[in-house]
Amino acid sequence: MTAQHSQAGIWLDRILGAAAAMLLFSLMALTTVDVIGRYIFNAPLRGAFEVTELLLLALIFAGLPLASRVDEHVTLDFIDMALSEKSRLLLRRVVDLICGALILALAWRVFVKASKIAGYGDTTEVLRLPVAPFVYFMAAMVAITGIVHLAKVIFPAPPRAGAAFDPDKPSST
Amino acid sequence: MTEALVGLGLMMLLALVRIPIAVSMGVVGFLGVAYLRDWNFAPAMAMVETKIYETGRNYTLSVVPLFILMGNFVTRAGMSQQLFRAAYTCIGHLRGGLAMATVCACAGFGAICGSSIATAATMAKVAYPAMSQLGYSDRLSAGAIAGGGTLGILIPPSTIMVIYGVLTETNIGKLFAAGILPGIVATFLLCLAVQWIVWTDPKSGPRGERSTWRERARALRGVWAVAVLFIVVMGGIYGGVFTATEGAGAGAFGALVFALARRALTWPTFLDALIESGRTTAMLFAILTGALMFAEFVNYTSMPNDLKAFVTGFNLSPIMVVAAICAIYVILGTAMEELSMILLTVPVFFPLIVHLGLDPIWFGILIVVVVEIGLISPPVGMNLFVINALLPQVPTPTLFHGVIPFMIADVVRLGILIAFPAISLWLPSLMR
Repeated sequence: MTAQHSQAGIWLDRILGAAAAMLLFSLMALTTVDVIGRYIFNAPLRGAFEVTELLLLALIFAGLPLASRVDEHVTLDFIDMALSEKSRLLLRRVVDLICGALILALAWRVFVKASKIAGYGDTTEVLRLPVAPFVYFMAAMVAITGIVHLAKVIFPAPPRAGAAFDPDKPSST
Repeated sequence: MTEALVGLGLMMLLALVRIPIAVSMGVVGFLGVAYLRDWNFAPAMAMVETKIYETGRNYTLSVVPLFILMGNFVTRAGMSQQLFRAAYTCIGHLRGGLAMATVCACAGFGAICGSSIATAATMAKVAYPAMSQLGYSDRLSAGAIAGGGTLGILIPPSTIMVIYGVLTETNIGKLFAAGILPGIVATFLLCLAVQWIVWTDPKSGPRGERSTWRERARALRGVWAVAVLFIVVMGGIYGGVFTATEGAGAGAFGALVFALARRALTWPTFLDALIESGRTTAMLFAILTGALMFAEFVNYTSMPNDLKAFVTGFNLSPIMVVAAICAIYVILGTAMEELSMILLTVPVFFPLIVHLGLDPIWFGILIVVVVEIGLISPPVGMNLFVINALLPQVPTPTLFHGVIPFMIADVVRLGILIAFPAISLWLPSLMR
């Protein structure tokens, strides 16, 4: 059994996938309604700006464990050419261990940041939405991302051999 | 200077053992800031907390997922087919016409999609079978798809421009406007490259059948959706009717409506477009956050000032500095992944550009063009990998050989854009 196909992994993909889809759809709908409201009906949505920011924040961090699950982060792959299948797999595990540890440390700092924000009782300017829950969500998602990497140390996904480009892997450029 | 170079070296070392670039840059940024404070980790930790939070909660950046989503919807809506047919009925009867039609269709697709990879991938599926049926050589068809595909990031919208804009606090709407005329110049030069290939080897690109005016009119009507999307989104941003984020939101919504109207979207593909865009967004933000942490460190070192002193000391003219920077990028771009190259080096070069009094918008366009060259320069070019994966029947040496004329066209264009900044700066100068 690999982490890719474990029950927990599949549920994580489903739940976070649904969350990311809903968040992005809301982001699009909110912006569109705001634009139409402002220019056609002369009635902008109050505080759309703030909600956009918070939706974006949630979207990014809900997507983070998903991106880590499918190894979507940009890496330089030169070293793969020099390694055997076995050592490639070992290197993946070491890298995932390092990444997992670092990302968990980052989650701890984000958690500290979240409790600071909760302590100030920060809210948004117009709608007075509390900010802290979103930052706690951020911390939780960063922690899950760290755990995803650690899970890969124990159940490594088979490395995609050969193909330098996977047509299903989205890219930025 | 030394500490920045050590940091750069360490970052490259981490990246070479396959640690994700985002993590490599973040770690080096963190350690670097701590080092500069005599290994006091408190400011470094505060820096990391602030960067991750501020990058996530940033209104300007919401253009990123929305334009990615728009690109994913238009790709699934099959608009590339329509664009290719329209271009082909107009110029397919010329020698090398289908290859030029591919380039023009790529330009059209680039006007609604911000990714070169997506443009090349979608065109490979549509244009290659048509060219191969007419007896085009693999060299010409693969080269035209790879070269034309790069137009995706030059013609707005463009993911790279957004990232450059965020990294340097340059107006994204103006960057978009600045990309339009260079995009037209690029399309023209890529078509010239096609003409050069068929001139040296007439068998590689035979003439297609001439279409009637009625057929042309019908094919052109098929692309009205693309035109409407581009005019509304880019026109709206250009005319100051809405911000880049609002334009992106409306564009994504418009693309969704078109995809639905064309019945190209099922429930699973719809969800897939959303989730894929979400993942890409997360991946981009991870690397952007890492880059901002790294930039924080570089900005605290003496490197930016040392570079300024170096340039002043040698009495270099600004244009020579820009040409040198571009030359470095073109060389780096052959071996490096382009996004990480930009994120890593822009924080170093940008203060110098500002110091020399050069226009950040113009520099942004030059950055996009060097990224485009990097995308098709062997051995490491993402567009080449796309074609390798999607068209396995084209041998790699043929592909590498095929892109050379298009690379030359791109380098000529880079020269033109450096020599005549007005091509990039005229349209944004008219904005309010």
